[in-house]
Amino acid sequence: MAKQAIKVENLVKHFGKGDSLVRVIEGANFQVDKGELVALIAPSGAGKTTLLMMIGCVEEPTSGKIYLGDELVYDNRWLTKEQRKIRREKIGFIFQAHYLIPFLNVIENVTLVPQTNGVPQKEAEAFAMELLDYFDIADKAHNMSSELSGGQNQRVAIARALANKPQIILADEPTAALDSERSVSVVKMLKKIAMDQDVAIIMVTHDEDMLPFCDRILKIENKKVVSHDVPKNKDVI
Amino acid sequence: MINLAQKDIKHTFGKFIVTAMGVGMLLGIVLIMIGVYRGMIVDAKVLLDDLKADLWIVQEDTLGPFAESSRVHEDLKNSVHVIDGVKKSVGITFQNLQLISKTKPVRVVAVGFDPYDTINPINPARLVEGDMLRKDHYEIVVSDNIGFKLGEEIPIGRNIYKVVGVTHGTVSSGGDPLVYISLKDAQELQFSYSNNRIRSDRARGIKDSTTNMPMVNAIIATVRLGYDIDSVANNIRQTLHKSVYTKDEQKDILTKNLIERASKQIGLFTAILVVVSTIIIALIIYTMTLEKMKEISIMKLIGIPNSMIMKMIVQETLLLGFLAFIFGNLFSHLIYGRFPKRVVLEISDAWMLFIIIMVASILASLIGIKKVINADPAAAIGG
Repeated sequence: MAKQAIKVENLVKHFGKGDSLVRVIEGANFQVDKGELVALIAPSGAGKTTLLMMIGCVEEPTSGKIYLGDELVYDNRWLTKEQRKIRREKIGFIFQAHYLIPFLNVIENVTLVPQTNGVPQKEAEAFAMELLDYFDIADKAHNMSSELSGGQNQRVAIARALANKPQIILADEPTAALDSERSVSVVKMLKKIAMDQDVAIIMVTHDEDMLPFCDRILKIENKKVVSHDVPKNKDVI
Repeated sequence: MINLAQKDIKHTFGKFIVTAMGVGMLLGIVLIMIGVYRGMIVDAKVLLDDLKADLWIVQEDTLGPFAESSRVHEDLKNSVHVIDGVKKSVGITFQNLQLISKTKPVRVVAVGFDPYDTINPINPARLVEGDMLRKDHYEIVVSDNIGFKLGEEIPIGRNIYKVVGVTHGTVSSGGDPLVYISLKDAQELQFSYSNNRIRSDRARGIKDSTTNMPMVNAIIATVRLGYDIDSVANNIRQTLHKSVYTKDEQKDILTKNLIERASKQIGLFTAILVVVSTIIIALIIYTMTLEKMKEISIMKLIGIPNSMIMKMIVQETLLLGFLAFIFGNLFSHLIYGRFPKRVVLEISDAWMLFIIIMVASILASLIGIKKVINADPAAAIGG
């Protein structure tokens, strides 16, 4: 079984044209394998989120190739009109803020995408309860997000990202709004998910303390993506 | 499957209901406006229907007393009566009066008729208290909404009239309450001159006006069974008097000529209110969609299809329209009785408004849908 979860070839992203042309990414090449937790780092404005959104089939690249699993989804153009279906079925998103749907309760937030994918309600709810239990918030299943703490909401958001059993999780600064203790807890959780569920995770972070928990670091340098090893004091879960 | 509209409405239930109530009040006004128009039609026909006259003989080259000033000699009724097919013919008068009540002057339309004749404009079914007119003079039957009680005395002109009967739902074509007096009293009130006027006329050498033939505003007649009303009317036109109208022609004059402009005005006003309601619903839906743009972007980002989000917008809009329609109906039924003139709320009008509002709601939701289609999923995380 192929290990490749994400593969990017000669990926280019420009914004604007003529005098106002902004070159964000120039020929990115990298691969992320299943079960890997990879940190994506770069200074602010270097294009981390843009890169994440291109892999997530949200932002259209200028050129290049993107493979999700074995499927080539972008080859100088989207190869499918249903990028949203790809997102719904293959990708889980985690954001800096939890971004839960405020008018849905916890379990509805978690089951929304699976139910949209056609998973029967009971089955989706059973799996959602497993996830919530895994994150120790099963007792909050029927609470609204406004009734939960920031940390609890972020765990619900992670559960939501996992609910569609994705091959890839794209996490955009998931620990930015959390204190260091909770941040470590969340990243350890992501590492465990990557290992347990064979999911490839790319995590954008500014927090160097989180890097030891990752398998690899992708750094945007001079508009290119360069792979680095993690620091030596890597903590094994 | 999760119903997003249901969940969103549950989340903002109070706000949604208050919004629906606000729009509902506007729709209630629309229903009242239509009811005012319906009331005008009903009012216009009350007296005509109660009189049960088949023919109206009015001043030549006029449309009759409902449309313009009309005077004919009372004795014309005798000439009409001998026309083949005419069963009965009587004189009748209509005049505006200002009655002085304990609180404020009341404007009414007085119907003068011969209380001893068989064509009686007072519909027994509408008589809620007292009796019909029994005398030639100084008795009056009043409508119950002008505040006079049975036995009360009302000064009119130079005489005092006693209330002998009270009717309900009797109004003129203009919506003013009706009172009924004897033909002789009515003629005196309408056609008799004051002493000063008589003296003034005499000084000018004008023949004594008090000796003038009695006048009425119209002669009404019934047609014998087996005779065609139109044929009898034509016969009168050809042999006696050219301005004759059947009951249906009088109804047409009332509904098409007299209240046409008023109904157009109300119709235009109603149309404007419906357009305003549609715009308000559209603005509300637009605002509600704007408030949810972050959530919509997140939903698009995590892969929720547009169709599901648009369904939420359309369902919310339709429910808003439906609830507004219900509240509008409740509101209109609560207040319609407080209007001084008749307001007739008909189910067919309510259904018509329902269809219009549902169509308007769907159109209004298009604005929200356009916003959903254009929403950038990347906006969820600030690009």
